[in-house]
This record gives sequence, structure tokens and C-alpha cells, in this order.
Amino acid sequence: MSLDDAERQVLRAKFKEYGRTGERSVRDELIEAHLRLAEHLARRFSNRGVALDDLVQVASLGLVKAVERFDPDRGLEFSTFATPTIVGELKRPFRDKGWSVRVPRRVQELHVEINTLVGELTQRLGRSPTIAELAGMASTSEEEVLEAMEAAQAYRSASIDAPTGGGDDDTRGLAAQLGDEDVNLFEAENRLLIADLLTTLPKREQLMLRLRFFEGMTQSQIADRLGISQMHVSRLLAKSLGQLRDRVEHADG
Amino acid sequence: MTEDEIRLAVPASPEFVRLARLTAAGLANRVGFTYDEVEDLRIAVGEACSHLIGTGGRAGSVSLVFRLGANEVRIEAKASGAAGPSDGDTADPAMSAQILDAVVDEFHLARGAVFLRKRRADGVRAS
Repeated sequence: MSLDDAERQVLRAKFKEYGRTGERSVRDELIEAHLRLAEHLARRFSNRGVALDDLVQVASLGLVKAVERFDPDRGLEFSTFATPTIVGELKRPFRDKGWSVRVPRRVQELHVEINTLVGELTQRLGRSPTIAELAGMASTSEEEVLEAMEAAQAYRSASIDAPTGGGDDDTRGLAAQLGDEDVNLFEAENRLLIADLLTTLPKREQLMLRLRFFEGMTQSQIADRLGISQMHVSRLLAKSLGQLRDRVEHADG
Repeated sequence: MTEDEIRLAVPASPEFVRLARLTAAGLANRVGFTYDEVEDLRIAVGEACSHLIGTGGRAGSVSLVFRLGANEVRIEAKASGAAGPSDGDTADPAMSAQILDAVVDEFHLARGAVFLRKRRADGVRAS
């Protein structure tokens, strides 16, 4: 980018210093000095359904890698060396997701917010809320609510073994975090009673319980199969189990 | 009143199922479905499309006709081109039937065609 010769010299010396010492503060200075390059490249990937902020972050990650690997003695300009690395990082989100739709962060956040609101409103109203009610609570349009609901599906394009990247120490794959199979709720003797009571539940609740306990699917497998969020599955299961419990107590009583 | 009719034709590929589901959600909202009912219809349309397309997609297209009643949505989905997915690549029809039974009021599942009908529950006004 538009660096003058004096600046170039300074940076060159810094790169040499970093190569020699591996000093973190020098590395950080070098990264900051080239952030505009990352931004510039990120902008070239905008308008593909990914928010610019997200792209700049990804590009900055590529920049960090480039700074760490750059060897000033090879005679290359840093920008020449860094560009392919940064572009490689920028292409990764599109490549990793395959055909799956990239969901802008705004929609992802709305998706989470709506999941929470659905729980609250369902409780308060004693029935499932309308889309208009959700849009009102979230101060957004009905179309955006519908889009956020559909975003549940794009969530699951993440590989089950891909690191989920929570905290620094959290490098386990998603599979490891899913936990073990729940304790089998139904012992053989109770199975008949349960199976009988099951048919008295609304059909949606029956399906959830069947998939979870008879087919032995995990919540995320059910979410996957039905194309809804795991939070919604969890909510439906809790509701179904609650209704079943009520009926069991009645049957015993 | 006259019924509104909306037609959508998409390539028989999994990446367009989202569009069909999103369309269904938008139309369900027009009829005043609740969140749960919209989710039900989305699940049903996704299931219908999987049934017609198979897990890996195939050549040809899927056409959907949505009909909006005063308090219900009816959907006819048809595979055109080849008649349904190849045998090895179809979603489990028994499971599909079980799922559809749970989320819509009426359905008909055939090779290459699916019919769905879902009514809005009483008690909530249309928005």
C-alpha cells in the first residue's frame, strides 16, 4: 500500500528484528502497520453475503500468519508475499461451507435472540407467538425473523469434528462436546405404559419423543434431520417430556 | 374469497430446498401461522423436497404450488424430469411419513409427488 521509502526501510528493519528476536510487540507493530492491506483485500470479497467486519477479521488472521512467516532476506515486498496468504484465508469460509449459505452475523445474532424470545413469549402468552409478535419484540421486520429461522439450517454446515473455537483452551471438536447419550429413560417395564400414553400427546410432541428415545437420535441429529435449530428441538422435547410426565402421574394416581 | 396461488420451480438440488422452505415460511406468515406452525410447515416442505430430490440431488426440477386459504396453506410438490430420486438415494419414506404426520394436518406421499395441507389453529388472529 502507499508506503514511502522511509517507511519501508523502517518496516524492513522491524521484520529483521522480529525474525531475530520473535518479540511479540514487534510482531504486533508489523501487523498494525499492514492492517490496511487486510482491509483492502477483505473489501474485494464483500457482496458475497458475508459482512465486511467478518471478512476484515478473517483477512487480519491471514495477515498475522503472513507477518509470522515473512522472511525479508528473500527480497520480496511484504505485500507481495502477504496477499496470497490473506486471499487464501478469505476464500476459506466460502470453500469450507460448500454450497451451504453463508449467514451474515446480523442474522446469526437475530437467530439466537429469536430463540430466546420464542421461549419467553410462549410462556407469557400460553401459546406459540406469531411472527409479527416476534418481529415486534426484536424490533425488526417479519421477513428478517423468517430469514433468521431459516438460518438454523446453515448453522449445521459446520463439521461435527471441526474445532468450535470457544475459549483458548477449548480446541475440542464439536463431537467431543456433545456429551454421552442421555440415560435411557424408559426401562422395559415402563415402555408399554409410555408407549400407550405417547399416543395421547399431540403429534409433534410424539415425534420428538420417538426420534429422541425410540430412534435413539441426539438432539442435534433431530435438528439436522428436521432442519430446525437444536434449541427448538430442546424446547419441544422439554415440553413433550413435561406433558408425558403429567400423564404418567395421572395414570399412577 | 379467491385463493392466492404461488408457484415456485427450483432445480432438484439440496441447495434450493432452503428457498422452498423460506417461501413456505413467508406464505405461512401471510396466513397468520404462529412460530410453531411456521416451523411445522418449514419442516414439512423440507421433508417433501428431500423425498423428491433425495439426499444428493438429481437432474430435473421440483415444482411447488402453494395455495393460500383463509386459514390454511396447501402445497403440491412435484418432481419433473426423472420420476423421483433414484432408489438408492431416497430418504427413508417411512420416516418421512412419520415426520409429515406430526407436522401437517393432511399429507399424501407418492413417488414423485407430495401433497401437504396445514391449517392455522384457532385462537390467534391473523396478523
